[in-house]
Amino acid sequence: MHDFSFAPKSKDARKQQQQTLDDSKQHHQQQQDNQQQQQPAKGTAAMPTVPRSLSDGDNGAKRRVERSASGSKKWKAGGKNSNPESQDSAFVDELGDMGTNGERISDVARPPAKPMDSSKEAFVFQQLDLDSYLDVPLPGMPGPQRGNVQIFRLFGVTKGGNSVLMHVHGFCPFIYTPAPANFTPSMLGEFKMALDKQIKETTSSAKDVPEVVMMVEIVSKESIYGFHATGKRPFLKIYLVQHKFINPARRALEQGTITLSKLGTLSYEVYESNLELNLRFMVETQLVGCNWVEVPAGKYKFRSFSSTPKPVSLAQYELDVAFDAFISHPAEDEWQQIAPLRILSFDIECAGRKGVFPEPDKDPVIQIANMVQVEGESKPFVRNVFTLGTCAPIVGSKVIACKTEIELLESWSAFVRECDPDIVTGYNITNFDLPFLMNRAKHLGARKFPYLGRLRNVQSKLSETKFSSKAYGTRESKVTSMEGRVPLDVLQILQRDYKLRSYTLNSVSAHFLSEQKEDVHHSIITDLQNGNDETRRRLAVYCMKDAYLPLRLLSKLMCVVNYMEMARVTGVPLSYLLSRGQQIKVISQLMRHAGQHDLVIPVHERQGSDEQYEGATVIQPKRGYYDTPIATLDFSSLYPSIMMAHNLCYTTLLSPQERSHLHPDDYIKTPNGDYFVKNKVRKGLLPLILESLLSARKRAKADLKKETDPFRKSVLNGRQLALKISANSVYGFTGATVGKLPCLAISSSVTAFGREMIEATKQHVESRYNVKNGYKHDAVVIYGDTDSVMVKFGLDSLEETMKVAQEAAEYVTSKFIRPINLEFEKVYFPYLLINKKRYAGLFWTRTEKWDKMDCKGLVTVRRDNCPLVVTLINTCLHKLLIERNVEGAIDFAKKTISDLLCNEIDISQLVITKALTKTADEYDGKQAHVELAERMRKRDAGSAPTLGDRVAYVIIRGPKGAPAFEKSEDPIYVLENNIQLDTQYYLHNQLEKPLMSIFEPILGSRAKELLSGEHTRVVVKRASSAGGNDKKSRGSIMSFTRAKATCRSCRALLPAGRTTLCSACEKDIDVHFQRELLKKRQLEDRYARLWAQCQRCQGSVMQDVLCTSKDCPIFYMRKKVQKDLRMQNEVVGKFDDSW
Amino acid sequence: MFEARMAQAALLKKVLEAVKDLVTDANWDCTSAGISLQAMDSSHVSLVSLLMRKDGFDMYRCDRPISLGINIASMTKIMKCANNNDAVTLRAEDEGDTVVFTFESADQEKVSEFEMKLMDIDSEHLGIPEREHTATVKMPASEFHGICRDLSTIGETVQVSVTKEGVQFTASGDTGKGTITLRNNSSVDEESQQVVITMQEELSLSFALRYLNFFTKATALADSVTLSMTADLPLVVEYRIEDTGYIRYFLAPKIDDDDDEDNN
Repeated sequence: MHDFSFAPKSKDARKQQQQTLDDSKQHHQQQQDNQQQQQPAKGTAAMPTVPRSLSDGDNGAKRRVERSASGSKKWKAGGKNSNPESQDSAFVDELGDMGTNGERISDVARPPAKPMDSSKEAFVFQQLDLDSYLDVPLPGMPGPQRGNVQIFRLFGVTKGGNSVLMHVHGFCPFIYTPAPANFTPSMLGEFKMALDKQIKETTSSAKDVPEVVMMVEIVSKESIYGFHATGKRPFLKIYLVQHKFINPARRALEQGTITLSKLGTLSYEVYESNLELNLRFMVETQLVGCNWVEVPAGKYKFRSFSSTPKPVSLAQYELDVAFDAFISHPAEDEWQQIAPLRILSFDIECAGRKGVFPEPDKDPVIQIANMVQVEGESKPFVRNVFTLGTCAPIVGSKVIACKTEIELLESWSAFVRECDPDIVTGYNITNFDLPFLMNRAKHLGARKFPYLGRLRNVQSKLSETKFSSKAYGTRESKVTSMEGRVPLDVLQILQRDYKLRSYTLNSVSAHFLSEQKEDVHHSIITDLQNGNDETRRRLAVYCMKDAYLPLRLLSKLMCVVNYMEMARVTGVPLSYLLSRGQQIKVISQLMRHAGQHDLVIPVHERQGSDEQYEGATVIQPKRGYYDTPIATLDFSSLYPSIMMAHNLCYTTLLSPQERSHLHPDDYIKTPNGDYFVKNKVRKGLLPLILESLLSARKRAKADLKKETDPFRKSVLNGRQLALKISANSVYGFTGATVGKLPCLAISSSVTAFGREMIEATKQHVESRYNVKNGYKHDAVVIYGDTDSVMVKFGLDSLEETMKVAQEAAEYVTSKFIRPINLEFEKVYFPYLLINKKRYAGLFWTRTEKWDKMDCKGLVTVRRDNCPLVVTLINTCLHKLLIERNVEGAIDFAKKTISDLLCNEIDISQLVITKALTKTADEYDGKQAHVELAERMRKRDAGSAPTLGDRVAYVIIRGPKGAPAFEKSEDPIYVLENNIQLDTQYYLHNQLEKPLMSIFEPILGSRAKELLSGEHTRVVVKRASSAGGNDKKSRGSIMSFTRAKATCRSCRALLPAGRTTLCSACEKDIDVHFQRELLKKRQLEDRYARLWAQCQRCQGSVMQDVLCTSKDCPIFYMRKKVQKDLRMQNEVVGKFDDSW
Repeated sequence: MFEARMAQAALLKKVLEAVKDLVTDANWDCTSAGISLQAMDSSHVSLVSLLMRKDGFDMYRCDRPISLGINIASMTKIMKCANNNDAVTLRAEDEGDTVVFTFESADQEKVSEFEMKLMDIDSEHLGIPEREHTATVKMPASEFHGICRDLSTIGETVQVSVTKEGVQFTASGDTGKGTITLRNNSSVDEESQQVVITMQEELSLSFALRYLNFFTKATALADSVTLSMTADLPLVVEYRIEDTGYIRYFLAPKIDDDDDEDNN
């Protein structure tokens, strides 16, 4: 059936009664059945609430106030309920199922660390995070022996689940510079002295350092950039004592301040001075993110309080190792496993003030809920909540009631140290929860609070960063330092990896977990807190659910495993994956491979040049509706395979001078006009990297097929995905002009080859498969894009098409250099080609049954459209392509348009969302969502969207000629104030284009009928209770008007005295009364069902519904039906008088 | 059966011109007394009220009250097909869903007939009760048109101040300020050129020029226009349609932005 993507699919496995409440008729019957099942089970609990809430009035704000005024009384009554279990939410049952208080629940600490003999046993652990610090050198370790040196800290976990901190000593950062001509080893000493002196003279912090330049040696290296017939040449490798002296050293070298007695004063080009210290360390010690580290027996020493140095951290094992004494295992075979990592998910609640978003210097933190889970296990083993003030017990969880806020904060901080999580997660913790706690603790003077990391005596600090990336846009974020723990905010993961309409916890839970959560408005939280034990318990359950959902999301999306595999494949630390962009991953791989081949990377000066090169080609689409099978031929991994086939790399790029020394057989000219040497002269580094990535992926996929254990399977799957993404990002790296090492000669050659290949494929297919060569039909390439071509072979049967297509793929592949491979993958039948990058079709890979409906570039996947468009287009396509029912699709479209004009469409279907990425001043023109955010900020600064948020809005009616940005409005505001939506806008600006694009190829000129037919002639206009938001003319005429009665049947104006029907229609009063009454009953029924649905969603049928979730279509429906019902009640009431 | 005949199509054209910027679809309420139309503009800031009494028609028949749901744009297109001097007849069956327009040329030699589908518009029928106003200003319609047009180049809001001496229209904006003052000159012979101010007390109100400019589309219907004002009540802009009725526009007074924000 068609997929209502916005509707929640809340199916509670245990009850099986939670069904999507939906508008469409086909669900109606089912729904009623559910209702009937439900009622005997739950008694009459659901129903009595309906009339009461009706009389509450529809004004949300007002209702909340009323509720809260009488709130404590109501809740007290609830507390006295003889059967308290019956009012508990489903989540409480779930918590109960996880275990009772007796079990491991208070067992927060890690398993005890068993003593080890460092001289006999090797020490093995999985490292997760690393950083470096400066300290005096440890005697007996390699490297500089005087002054402060660079020491690295590796945090990790052993197989047994014990935490580890390993100090790695003796590693010195270094840079390269080409040795000048005539440089001899005897000059090394002089060079070192001269550089050392120069750095000390120019850098104040270097003055007291005994030795800045550790050592200089001559090594044989080659620059990665360009092909050099001469091969390797001598380079000076300069070791420095601290990372911060790299830049002074580079300046000293580049500016020509180094004088050697025999060579005079020269300036030197510097290589690899812009690489990060952590990455440099990892590359040199062959560490990759999250891999296993083994220190052989006798090579390490544990720290203890009786020895020097003393432990500085809370880790169970703390040891010192020389940088060349440990083994770093590549993540293969047995080293693919994952240690039992502890993941802490938490959520805080603040008692905010009405209408203001909580501020840490004013609003108290009242609850912190925690869930700790071991990666790979299904349930959190620690479930607790810290509350301010007493709170009734919650089964399966521990309630820790605190008397003061300082106690709450400090005992939570102690809890974090005790349970010692490796990964800290939650929903928006980096930008809200953690900064709020930090600031609150600072404000209250909770001195023991800010020690959240693994290091003793090191305070957590709050700082701000701005992350800017072409792929992910600009985001401001805050960083709370927690040494040794990796923050993994689920919100940030989702914003990076998934394109969603809304990123509230509620809507992502609905999307990924098919589960709704209650969305309690922050203004109610204070009332719940000020109530009694029971109200605080309700809040605690809500808070715990918010802590639990991020864990569920992490395991459902397998984030930890996938991220870890990505870290292992690309070799960067886990924390970089969220805080850094794509480039760092490629650099890490490039550095590793370059080092193996004695290549050094030059420092590319960032020039913000916007040099563009030609991208991929598109074969002009032959638009239309194809009722015959269309075969799709794809180049698999097109760009990586081009780079491999043609040996495109930094190291093979030929400069004109170099080219003059070579035989024309030794190099190729790309269609772009660049020259690269062939494989036989020198194999490029990038092709090598790609080969290793792709062969690793092949291996992982093969292992995946064999593997049966689900956890290891997910690890392998994460691995092959990471490998694929990495292979594809190499091309992008060469084209990133603001990157570390752009090389447009490579990237533009790659795309040029790609264009040529698409054209060639078209030629090959069309010149072979035609009537002249004995085939039944002429094959036509109807469309081609980047790495695929769509071919119409003209055959009617799927089976034949697949056979010919397979053959064609092999034939064309044979025309290209390996490993370029054209694959036949799928057939579209039927196929609707709308335009470039826009098409839809039924996807077949087997002849028996279609696989899915595939839509590309249609509104269905764009987010700046309202869900109505998506639903409508999806349903129409479903009817057109799968059911082949053109009339059905037309009828559905007409019905939707007619509903729209009659105001029958739910407002949630009309909500458009757009991300607020810049402030209003930075946008060029005025835009609807930006203007609305501005207006909302004036109404209520707290709840208004801020930078980075997605703004939800609807378009309301405005004066003629008013631009759309003046007509945008907050959906909740619209609902509360009864404002009219601009249905014409939705029809013409939202629905018209996509509808025409899919119907025109099929219906031709008849398609226009959809927009102006008979069904558009019934419209409903309701008066609103507030003026529009047109600031220039605020103030509504409504308050001055009097409504005059019109006939309920023929709409004629009624004379005074009459209220319902005109004299002409009165004869049929019974009919009309019946109709209105029926309408009222239907509305009542619908309202009752919606209310019950919300009660089920909050998991309790005894409590009022507090939820005001902006993402929930049910909430909007409930609001609207409530309003409609009140109006209908008035109408029926009038009949009562005239009856 | 409803049937109404008008000697000059021009009048109906002008009426349409006067409402089409404010209203897209509206119910034309036909009773034995005449035709009326009442509708708010889509942003609910202003209201237009049209009355055409049966006396204004050559022939008028309405057996039972009916409501004709008309899309103004469609009707305007049909009316474009009539010459200004044509006589026009509107006809609708009691239970029908169409209205028929018949245009007859002055010399009776050409008759055209257009049928238009009606809409079913479900909306409240809203009216504003008539009342006495503190101040009324009668002035030439073209003068008012010019004032609104000129001041809207300066600002978005016009402040109307009525004193015994005259009426002052002021607009200010980013570029500057404009003031137009009309003196009471009821002494001018020609009635349509008179500026007549009647008032109980002095007052000063602000209105959105955007809407006033929609209202002045009715300038062609009448020589003079009457503005009626009372503090905190809507402004009434009335154009009398000779021998037939009137078209009245109501515009809510502008609330100052500052107050507005305090309220929220």
